Amino acid sequence: MSSALAAYRTSFWRTFWRNALMAPRTSLGFMRVDFILGTVFVVPLTQMVFFAFVVQLGGGGASEIAYTALGNAVATVTYSSIFSVCQTTDSEKSQGTMEHLLVSPANRLALYFGRGLIPILISLATVAVGLVYASVLFGVSIAAASIPELAVSVVLTAFAMVGFGLLLGGVALYLRTSIILGNIFLFAGLLLSGVNFPLSQLPLPLQWAGDAFPLTWGLAAIRAAVSGEPLSSLLVLWGAVALSAILAFSAAIGLWTVFERRALATGSIARF
Amino acid sequence: MEPVRSEFSRGRSTLASLRIAILQFLADPQWLIPSMIAPVVFALVSYELFRGSGPYFLTYAILGAGMMSMWGQTLYGSGWATSQDREFGTLEPTIQSPTPYLYVILGRVLWNVLSGLFGGLIVYVVIVAASGGPPALPDPLGFALLFVFVMLSLASVGVVFAAFYVYTRYAGFIQNIGEFAFYVGTGCMFPVVLLPFWTNPISLVFPPTWGLDALRYLAIPGYRGFGWGFWLDLLGALGTTLAYLAIAGSIFHRVERHVLEEGNLSQY
Amino acid sequence: MSGHSFAIETRGVTRVFDSRKGFLFREVSHTEALKGVDLAVEQGAIFGLLGPNGAGKTTLTKILSTLLLPTGGRALVLGHDVVTDAEWLRPRIGLVLGGERGLYNRISGRENLRYFADLYGLPTAERERRIDEILARVDLSSAADRRVEEYSRGMKQKLHLARGILLRPQVLFLDEPTIGLDPKSARETRKLVRSLVADGVTIFLTTHYMFEAEELCPQLAILSKGRIVARDTVARLRQLVGGDRTLEAEAYGFEDTEVSALRRLPGVSKIIEEEYGPRTRLTLRVRTDEVRPDDVRALLPDHPELEVKERRTSLEDVYLDLVEEEAH
Repeated sequence: MSSALAAYRTSFWRTFWRNALMAPRTSLGFMRVDFILGTVFVVPLTQMVFFAFVVQLGGGGASEIAYTALGNAVATVTYSSIFSVCQTTDSEKSQGTMEHLLVSPANRLALYFGRGLIPILISLATVAVGLVYASVLFGVSIAAASIPELAVSVVLTAFAMVGFGLLLGGVALYLRTSIILGNIFLFAGLLLSGVNFPLSQLPLPLQWAGDAFPLTWGLAAIRAAVSGEPLSSLLVLWGAVALSAILAFSAAIGLWTVFERRALATGSIARF
Repeated sequence: MEPVRSEFSRGRSTLASLRIAILQFLADPQWLIPSMIAPVVFALVSYELFRGSGPYFLTYAILGAGMMSMWGQTLYGSGWATSQDREFGTLEPTIQSPTPYLYVILGRVLWNVLSGLFGGLIVYVVIVAASGGPPALPDPLGFALLFVFVMLSLASVGVVFAAFYVYTRYAGFIQNIGEFAFYVGTGCMFPVVLLPFWTNPISLVFPPTWGLDALRYLAIPGYRGFGWGFWLDLLGALGTTLAYLAIAGSIFHRVERHVLEEGNLSQY
Repeated sequence: MSGHSFAIETRGVTRVFDSRKGFLFREVSHTEALKGVDLAVEQGAIFGLLGPNGAGKTTLTKILSTLLLPTGGRALVLGHDVVTDAEWLRPRIGLVLGGERGLYNRISGRENLRYFADLYGLPTAERERRIDEILARVDLSSAADRRVEEYSRGMKQKLHLARGILLRPQVLFLDEPTIGLDPKSARETRKLVRSLVADGVTIFLTTHYMFEAEELCPQLAILSKGRIVARDTVARLRQLVGGDRTLEAEAYGFEDTEVSALRRLPGVSKIIEEEYGPRTRLTLRVRTDEVRPDDVRALLPDHPELEVKERRTSLEDVYLDLVEEEAH
C-alpha cells in the first residue's frame, strides 16, 4: 500500500513538472521569450496609456487617471492568465495531442496545476511591471510599507486568475474553440471588475456579474493594499480572492472531468 | 490530353477569396463574437468615463469603438486568416497557385472590413441603448461617404499588415502585443493631438489617423484635432492610403520570395 | 542544360535550411537537405523517387513545384526554370502533398475545389463540369457536398488528388500519395495515377512503398541524405546491387570460412550478414542462374537446421542495399 502511494506521489510531481516546463513551448498561447517580454513590458504600458487618455478626454483629473492606471496595471494579467491558459485547449486540439492527453493515466490535478505554473509566474511579473508603470508614469502612490500586503494581494490574484483560465480551458474542451471564451473574459474585466471606474457606477446585475470574476476581488485587494487599508479589511479581501482561486481551480478540475466525458461522447475533441 | 487553359484573373481570385471567407464564416458564425467583444466593451467603458462630459462625447465613444472594431477586424482578421492558412496547411497550395497571394488577401480584407462594419453597427446599437438615444450627426451624407472611404483606407493598411503574417508565423502574437499601441497611436478613442508631440509623426504614417480625424470634423461641431482643418485631413488620408496601396503592390512579391527562400510555409 | 526536352531536369540542386534558436544568444544551425541533385525525367513518364524519412524527397518536390527556392543549382520543369518562370509554370503543374492538412475543413469538398479552380484560373464556363468530372474520377461525387472535416483520411487524400489535377496539369507532383491509406484506397489511387499517365501527364512520385514504386515507376531514383545514390530502371538497379536473384541462408551462426566459401561461388556478387536473435541470415545476391540453393547447402553441411530460400531480388532489397551503402 505504501509503495503504491509512493508511486502515486512520484507520478504526481513528474506530471506536474513535466507540464510546467513543457506547456509554454507546446500549448500555451506564448512560446518565445521575446513574446513573453512583450506581454510583460509592452501590453501593460500601452493599455494604461490608452485608458489614461480616454479619462483625460472625458475631463478626468490626476486622481481619476491614477485610478484607471492602477486598474489597468492589474487587468493586463488577463493576457497571460486567462487568454493564454484558456487557449491551451485549442492548441492541443489543433496539434492532435488532446486525445493522447485524455487517454493518458496522468493525474489531472498535477497536469492542470503544472500547466498553470509558468502563467502564474508571468502574471506576477506582468502585474509587478504594471504597478511600476502606474507608480512612475501615472502618479499612483505606492508606499514602501504597503509592499508586503501588495505582494500578497498580487500573488493571490495571479493564482485566482490562472485558475479561472484553466476553468475556461475546461469549458473550451467541449466547444469548438476557446478563442471566443478567452476574448470575452479578456475584455469583460475592463467593464465589470472596477478597472476603469468603481463598480458602483454599474447597474446592479452587472455588479453581480463582476463579483463572480476573480479579477474584481484581486483588484479590490490590490487597491486596498496600495491605499494602506488596515490588515482586517485586507484579510477579508484576501479571503475572497483565495476563495475565488480555490473555487476556480476546483471548478476547473470538475469541469475538465465532466467535459472530458462529454467531449469523448460527442467527438468534439478532434474538431477545432 | 489537352491541358486546360488557365484564365486566372486578379478580380476573380479576389472574389473567390471573398467567397471562401463568407463560406467559412457561415460554416461557423460564432467567430464574429470575439471581434465584437472588445469594441463593445471599449465603447461601454468610454461611455462611462465620458459620462457627463457633454453630448458629443457619445459620438467619441461610438466613433472610437466602431473604428476599433473595423481596425481589429481588418488587421487581425486578415492576418489571422493567413495564420489559419498556415495551420490548415492551405498556404502552400494557395501560394503554389498562379494567383498572386495579394489578391487572396484582398478578398479577405474586403470581408473583414464588412464584418468590422457590422461590429461598428453593434457598438452603435449598444451605446444608443445605453444612453437612451442616438447622438446628433450634423452632416449624415458627408459622414457616410467619408466613412466608406475610411473603410477602404483601413483595407489598404490591412493588406500591408497581412504581408507580415505571410512573412512570419509569429506575426499574430506581435500584433496582439501591439494592439493597444495601434489604438493609441491612431487616436481611435481620443484625438492624436492629445499625445506627446514626438509621437505625432508616427501616428500620421497610418491612414486611419487622418481619416478618423476628418470624420470627427464632420461629426463633432467645434472639433479642432490637429487644427489644420477637414480638407487637409482628407488629403492626408487619401495620400497615405495611396502610399499603402503602393506598398502592398510591391511588398507581396518580396514577401512571397522570402517565404519560398525560408521554406516555412507549412509551419505555424 | 541538355538540348533534349525533358519534363523535369535538375542539375546540382542544393538546399540548405537555416534554423535559429535562442533569444539573447542566437544560434543558427544549417541543415543540408539536398546536396547536388541531378535528375532527368522523360515527358509522359512516371518517375519514382524513393528514400528514407528525411532524405530530402519533399524538399525536392517543393522546389520542383515552385514552393521552395533552391539554394544552388538549377531546376527546369517543362523546360522552364522553377525560380524565374514560376508564374508560367504554376498553371501547368499540379501538386499533391497529401495528409490531413491542406484543405479547408469547415467547407465542403466541392467548395474547396471551386476555390482552387478560381485561383488556378480554370475557365469559368467549364468550372462546374470539370469539378463534377474530377469528383467522379476520384470517386468523391456522393460526398462532394459534405464538410471536409467529416471526410476519412482516404477521402481527404482523394480530394488532394482532385485539386492537383483540376487544371489537367502537364506535370503532376505526388508526394507520398498513398501514405496512410487503406489497401483499397491505395490501389484506387495507383489506378488513377496510371490513368493520368495514359492521358499524357508526367508524374513525379515520391514514396516509401517499394511495391508501389515497382508497380508504377519504370524509372526511379533513390535519394539518401540529400544525394541521388542510384537512378535507373528497376531491372538495372537490381544489377547494380548485385543481381536479379537472391538466395537466403539461415542458421544458428556461420563460420567465416563458410562465408568465404560462399563468396567464391560463381555469380555471387555480394553477401549481407544479419543477426536475428540467435539466428544468422546470409543474403546472397546472385547474377547468374549457375548457383542454386543446393550449391549453398553443399557448402554448409554442418548446419542441420539450415534453411535456404530462393527469390527474386526485390526493389526493397535494392533500396536497403543502396541506402545502407550510403550510410557507411
